[in-house]
Amino acid sequence: MVRNGTHTVKSYEQELGQLRAMVARMGGIVESQVARALSAVAEHDGDAARLVPEQDPEVDALERDVEALAIRLLALRAPMAGDLREIVTAMKMTGDLERIGDYAASIARRSLRFDLADGRISLSGLRSMGRLVQENLRRAIDAATQQDADRAMEVWHSDQAVDDYYTALFRSLVTYMMEDPRNIGPCTHLLFIAKNLERIGDHATNIAERVYYSVTGDNMTGSRPRGTGTSSVDAS
Amino acid sequence: MNAYSMTGSTMDATMTADAALSVRNLSFFYGQTEALKNITLDFPKGCVTAMIGPSGCGKSTLLRVFNRMYDLYPGQRATGEVMFDGVNLLESGVDLNQLRARIGMVFQKPTPFPMSIYDNIAFGVRLHERLSRRDMDHRVEEVLTRVALWSEVRDRLRSPASGLSGGQQQRLCIARSIATKPEVLLLDEPTSALDPISTARIEELLDELKDHFTIAIVTHNMQQAARCADQVAFFYLGELIEMDSADRLFTAPRLKQTQDYITGRFG
Repeated sequence: MVRNGTHTVKSYEQELGQLRAMVARMGGIVESQVARALSAVAEHDGDAARLVPEQDPEVDALERDVEALAIRLLALRAPMAGDLREIVTAMKMTGDLERIGDYAASIARRSLRFDLADGRISLSGLRSMGRLVQENLRRAIDAATQQDADRAMEVWHSDQAVDDYYTALFRSLVTYMMEDPRNIGPCTHLLFIAKNLERIGDHATNIAERVYYSVTGDNMTGSRPRGTGTSSVDAS
Repeated sequence: MNAYSMTGSTMDATMTADAALSVRNLSFFYGQTEALKNITLDFPKGCVTAMIGPSGCGKSTLLRVFNRMYDLYPGQRATGEVMFDGVNLLESGVDLNQLRARIGMVFQKPTPFPMSIYDNIAFGVRLHERLSRRDMDHRVEEVLTRVALWSEVRDRLRSPASGLSGGQQQRLCIARSIATKPEVLLLDEPTSALDPISTARIEELLDELKDHFTIAIVTHNMQQAARCADQVAFFYLGELIEMDSADRLFTAPRLKQTQDYITGRFG
């Protein structure tokens, strides 16, 4: 959907533009954090792993800046309708992005603590899940920057696939651990990594829901799609 | 085509059986100029309905129709129906004095009569009712209390109303309007000439008055419409574009035209 026409008050329009730019920049940094974290795990890239937590302060600062600007806009411009929804969405979305950044940093730090290079444990499932989560995050951020409700809906629907990957991965990692107790260390780390990825997927879905509301004024109806067996894994 | 006629849900939300005023296919003409075009909407009893829109959109004209103020001017005419208590108040047989007692109006600028505070209230009442001195005193106190002015003026009821502040004068005008016990109260930008504190007092007053009256308010202040109104109607160039609950209209209007106006992207 194309954004509405330009605001009559130019400074208001500029401030809204500034808000959009800050959210887009935050989205870009967080996307790169997730990409590096995945490369740290899947490609054993230690440099990437070390870089991810270093990006955290910038993400945190952007979150504070977005919040400050949003509060300023609410107080001084008394936004209505689409503007109001967009500003509130920006404020909530940065919370999701900040959490995604934290999960990425957690994955990156964890990847430095164990060695998977010996090839005993297949990482293909984790790579596939990582690619899908990355793709969902990219689409969610694109949906936000382009105010695209259809794309937001795509992300929402594909969260089920992320959950399915997580369930499958959980089962295979448990199997590795049962086969050989020496696998318990690395597989536990991988389980946490998979869980972090699953959480990143959830936050991407949150962003999609918020964008959908921002664009259409309606909430996505129905409960979020869930993969079969996810709840039993969550309870484990 | 507007949202009002397009969407079933909007129809359901606004076409209530319990309407104080039901406007049907109303058009209004200033000479050749059509200022209202085929308007249909209801004003539910006990609710505040706000009308918003740019200058010249017809919202004040609509208020003027409700108490037949246009009758004072040649060349102005209305077609369609405005049903009020089972009667089409546009019909020629309607008693205008009675009508204006039952549908009161308050204007943008306070318009106290050049007489005492007491007489400002009593003047209108005397036109419609014969009250004893005691009952009149009681009525004056009652309405001044209701508009939260009693404590401020009780010791100077015989002083000229022109000595009151702008906010007090406006509350006096509202008291004057409600003294004849109307069913509907029409307010045409009642706070545009007032400071924020007086405005807040009037808005607080509307909240209390709506338990007893049906209120229609025209305002340019969108925040005011958002704060006071139960339902909001957006007019543009004589047409009713969209009507919905204040909650819905100010967070997620259905039409782009409404969205553009309330977010300041108009023109």
